[in-house]
Amino acid sequence: MPNNLKSPNDAAAQDEPILKVEGLVKRFGDTTVIKELSFEVQPGQVVVLVGPSGTGKSTFLRCVNGLEDIQGGKIIFEGEEVKARHSNITAIRRRIGMIFQNFNLYPHLTAVENVTLAPVKVLKESPESAKERAMELFRKVRLEHRATAYPGEMSGGEQQRVAIARALAMNPALMMFDEPTSALDPETVGDVLAVMEELAAEGRTMLVVTHEMAFADHVGDRMLFMDGGYVVEDGPPSELLNNPKNDRTRQFVNSVLKPEAAMKGTADSSEVPPNIAAR
Amino acid sequence: MILIEYGGALLRGLGITLWVSCLALILAAVVGALIGIARTSKFMSLRVAATAYTEFFRSLPTLVMLFFVFYGLTAAFNINLSPFVAATIALGLEGSALMSEVVRGGLQSVGKGQKEAALSSGMPVWQVELYVVWPQAIRVMLPPAVGVYVSTLKGSALASSIGFVELMQTGLLVRERVQNDYDGFTVLIAVAVIYTIVNYAISQAGAHIERKSNYAQ
Amino acid sequence: MYDFYLPDVYPYLHKLPAALWVTIEISILATLLSSIMGVFLAIMRRSDSKVLRGVSTTYVEVIRNMPLVVLLYLIFLGLPAFGIVFSGYVSGLIALTLNSAAFMTEIFRAGLIAVPSGQFEAAQSQGMSRVTVYRYVILPQVLRTSYAPYGNQVIGVVMGSSIMMIATIEEVTAWMYNTGAVTYRYFEVFVVAGIVYLIVCQMANVARIMIGKALFKSAAAGGKW
Ligand SMILES: Nc1ncnc2c1ncn2[C@@H]1O[C@H](COP(=O)(O)OP(=O)(O)OP(=O)(O)O)[C@@H](O)[C@H]1O
Ligand SMILES: [Mg+2]
Repeated sequence: MPNNLKSPNDAAAQDEPILKVEGLVKRFGDTTVIKELSFEVQPGQVVVLVGPSGTGKSTFLRCVNGLEDIQGGKIIFEGEEVKARHSNITAIRRRIGMIFQNFNLYPHLTAVENVTLAPVKVLKESPESAKERAMELFRKVRLEHRATAYPGEMSGGEQQRVAIARALAMNPALMMFDEPTSALDPETVGDVLAVMEELAAEGRTMLVVTHEMAFADHVGDRMLFMDGGYVVEDGPPSELLNNPKNDRTRQFVNSVLKPEAAMKGTADSSEVPPNIAAR
Repeated sequence: MILIEYGGALLRGLGITLWVSCLALILAAVVGALIGIARTSKFMSLRVAATAYTEFFRSLPTLVMLFFVFYGLTAAFNINLSPFVAATIALGLEGSALMSEVVRGGLQSVGKGQKEAALSSGMPVWQVELYVVWPQAIRVMLPPAVGVYVSTLKGSALASSIGFVELMQTGLLVRERVQNDYDGFTVLIAVAVIYTIVNYAISQAGAHIERKSNYAQ
Repeated sequence: MYDFYLPDVYPYLHKLPAALWVTIEISILATLLSSIMGVFLAIMRRSDSKVLRGVSTTYVEVIRNMPLVVLLYLIFLGLPAFGIVFSGYVSGLIALTLNSAAFMTEIFRAGLIAVPSGQFEAAQSQGMSRVTVYRYVILPQVLRTSYAPYGNQVIGVVMGSSIMMIATIEEVTAWMYNTGAVTYRYFEVFVVAGIVYLIVCQMANVARIMIGKALFKSAAAGGKW
């Protein structure tokens, strides 16, 4: 299916949104995690998703990838409706790259094998060309020297960069990041963020859940603040960070940006580690 | 119906099966504990000997053990062992190899720190073992020990081949007695069902103990 | 004191290789067949269908708790009542396979459970089909965790193969019994048979370690993979 591959720039040429969420509802049993979610992501946009723990940010990303059933509304990716149990789901997943908090590298494969597995098995690329492309990607994430290492031999930051290379190898139209740096040692966070920044600069469409406010401010085109199952505020990151309109946004931003505020702040925002604002 | 006529006999067979596996388990526990302790000993020679014991008996089919004890020991020492005694010894030796693994695993599960803490509080070694190590180890040993019992109980069905009349052999004898092939089949099925239910119940009890001890920790 | 006299057994030693071959052959066959069954039953256990899960669970619980020899008698002596007659060899093979499959299922199931759900999700998120996910991502990991218990089960099959004797097949245990019965040298034949079983099991152990080293690279060193 190589003709299925579009470079991010081709996608940018189209005018319609790459991702459209209409009235999304997600329930686990009796608890409704996402009550109503509607927004669009335009090609080339970097959308940062923030919000207190447990508001359903991860759940939302999983819905977009068809890893969860949804109970209401629609998710439309590149004009196609995403349904967890529909036969087109694997085709949609190929076009969406997903980066997990715990990397989820395949432990039995080397870094380069991790990257080439899906291109070879799913896109039917030849092993040689897949490997060649993988090496290019490793240069991009600055890991050429670690290509033959196993995940167990790598630091968290290295593993996460391999995971990014693995996602890129599928040439996705949309990259989703679920707190890609929260499981990392502080000194390796910067390497991963630098790679992500480069991807944004290339014009890739990205949906990023993160608590790294400096990164969000610097790289994000747009920030969505989620709380209680809704998008409470949506706008440019600098706007939300410096001039929040909503009380809850203000509380959250304060708690993240000003650790001392979090100390005396509300209970629900205290779950955010206070040290992240420092960067 | 055939099962009403012979049900009593089968249940008596079950009783004997349970009894012989209980005795074998006791033998297995005693011997297995000694071997298991030896396997955690600080003396190399003891460890090697104990490991060899375990490996040896684990590499012998139950049937071989039964024949050996019933025919071999009888011939070698010129003694007369009843099928019952022979089955107990054979199953007990077989189980002792399994038990030694259980005991070793249990003892090793107790962290070094526990022992050192107890020793540093001035307890003599025997008290450390008795009051600190074993109480913790036994909790860990209990669930797999139930597994050894189930395995012994299943192995006891083979004692039918040295003529020991337990559940399996009772079933075979009843089957000989009944004329009808279908009745014969029914009897075999009944035997299978009895074994399965009893072992299932014991296994479940073991799983229950395991869950409880997991919560307790 | 008993006087140990091996020469009485010598005339019967020539039958031992054939008997040993039966033990090995049936063990290999039963291991292969039960491994295949075990893989399917373990995957069934994870299926979305309640029925498939129920079938697999029931199978494992029933077979696991039934003595192997009882299963053999059911097949060898019981089934002929319905006109279903298998030779002794086939009866023994079926019994061993059905029995071992229950244990294999448990081993593979434990291996499957040990694979973090993130592995399924990462692979799915790359658009791999279910078959591809299992084949290239999940099964290699299951293989690694299941490897040691699998080796034990293979030895369990060798041990279990001694019941073939009950189905009138001449394997090592039957050789021991029959030779003992004609020579009255029960102790000696036990020593011989015991050594044979010991060698078979130790060879299986060595094979397990060597294959494991080849499969998992530095597995023995507890390293990368
Ligand atoms: N499989 C599930 N079954 C039941 N409840 C779930 C499940 N997955 C998530 N939840 C619940 O849904 C809510 C949202 O979870 P989610 O992981 O999406 O939050 P989040 O916004 O990503 O939080 P965090 O910042 O901590 O990652 C939580 O209350 C969680 O307990
Ligand atoms: Mg999350």
